[in-house]
Amino acid sequence: MNRRVLRGRLFILALGVALIYSLAGVGLLDAQKLARGLGNIALFSSDLFPPDAGVITTVAPAMVETLQIALVGTFIGTVVAMPLALLAMPILTNSAVAPGVRLVLAFIRTIPALLWGVLFVVAFGLGPAAGATGIGLYSAGYLGKLFYELLEGVDPEVVEAVRSVGCSRLQLARYALLPEAANGLLAQLLFMFEYNVRASSIMGFVGAGGIGYYMLGYIQLLRYDALLTAVLITLLVVIVIDWLSIRIRGAFLLHDA
Amino acid sequence: MTSERPLKDATGFTGRSSVNALQASPYAVEATDLSFSYGRGQHVLRSMDFAAPQGQITMVIGASGSGKTTLLKLVKGLLPLQEGRMTVLRKTYDSPGENRHITSEIAYIPQHLGLVRSLTVLQNALTGALGRLGLPYSLFGGFPHALIQEAKDRLTRIGLGEKIEEKVYNLSGGERQRVAIIRARMQNPRLILADEFVSQLDTVTTTTIMDALREQTRNDGVTYIQTTHELDLVLRFADRVSVISSGKVVLEAEGGAVDRQTLSEAIRS
Repeated sequence: MNRRVLRGRLFILALGVALIYSLAGVGLLDAQKLARGLGNIALFSSDLFPPDAGVITTVAPAMVETLQIALVGTFIGTVVAMPLALLAMPILTNSAVAPGVRLVLAFIRTIPALLWGVLFVVAFGLGPAAGATGIGLYSAGYLGKLFYELLEGVDPEVVEAVRSVGCSRLQLARYALLPEAANGLLAQLLFMFEYNVRASSIMGFVGAGGIGYYMLGYIQLLRYDALLTAVLITLLVVIVIDWLSIRIRGAFLLHDA
Repeated sequence: MTSERPLKDATGFTGRSSVNALQASPYAVEATDLSFSYGRGQHVLRSMDFAAPQGQITMVIGASGSGKTTLLKLVKGLLPLQEGRMTVLRKTYDSPGENRHITSEIAYIPQHLGLVRSLTVLQNALTGALGRLGLPYSLFGGFPHALIQEAKDRLTRIGLGEKIEEKVYNLSGGERQRVAIIRARMQNPRLILADEFVSQLDTVTTTTIMDALREQTRNDGVTYIQTTHELDLVLRFADRVSVISSGKVVLEAEGGAVDRQTLSEAIRS
């Protein structure tokens, strides 16, 4: 057996040991616990059906609020992320500023959206304003990284050619980097919006507005049939947004020769 | 007639590159003892001497990896001067990194043209004029009407009048090359550097583009330096040719005074 094959088998063995250790750690090797859990799931599932249509008038406006949180949050995220992404490009700033900005973006990403929501509930009080700003800041961290990676991926020859005309750094961004990366930027923006619709759905768990507030309430009141209605409405909206995203991406797709 | 490079004097530089002679220099670009390496010990240029006369088409021919692109990038200032001395448009650089100053006086067309694919033909042409514009105006106010008209006129003269609103990714190879040359001309440059330009184009398109360039060098005194690996291009259009092999200029000659066999032998040397 050669060294490469041996190394591969040792790696698979180590992975298997780590998995079994982790399964035991989270309690999923406990047969009694598993049997009890499966029984509870069956019971819970029977309580979900049929969905309670009577809560639609309550849940639908909350879903609209969730979409508003996602839209405003994505907008805030984009407005904050774009300048930061440009500052994170060494070609536009310098080798001292760019790593600093990347560090700030990494820090923003470290804190989960829900925790940003809690922080903004403290700042703005309960309600969708906290959710939108929380989602906005969280999105800024992610969009900033996605944007500067896209800008970095622009063909170096295009950058070199436009730089060679003697333009400023801002002109280079405006006339070479941003148009060349526009398709990718749009795709990431749509993806972020889709993600934010899902993230906004649970912002209500911490009192930051949206449909999550009702979902948490239905769980606490054991009203699983009403919870299913809220989940189905969320699912429907997410499917529609995914479909719209595909259509928008298709319309803007660059058919390169 | 084939000409030899002047011998270096005791200070290591040729008589042509002396500072006192700059005002009268007939050369737009003159380099002596130019060496460049991308990594430790891997020299792409080795004590190269090179000169391009003002207002002429100079073609630099050589095999792949012979140092043609590196030479152009050093002249443009995209790569830092490491060793040697360069005089470009009467500015002399002899310290490491001193040449890294991008100016609109020198246009550079990279091998794959570097056009912004999602912009239109007109917008790409106009990017050539960015160095001439004030920052706030070009960022938020678009381009002045006179400049737009200038770009349209130039594009029309080169046969792209019908395609000014077309996105670049919809154009053919020859059309893209023409956009690149108009972008370069919108800089109002005194020197144009083109890397493997008009390669792999049909004869008619090549002739159209090269004739337009020749007209510009003759009428406006613009100097044009092009790298190529195509002998036919050199024999048909070069006023002057420099053959590069292993990072050195091994032959310099007037365009009409050199034959195919001499060039081929020099490239292989």
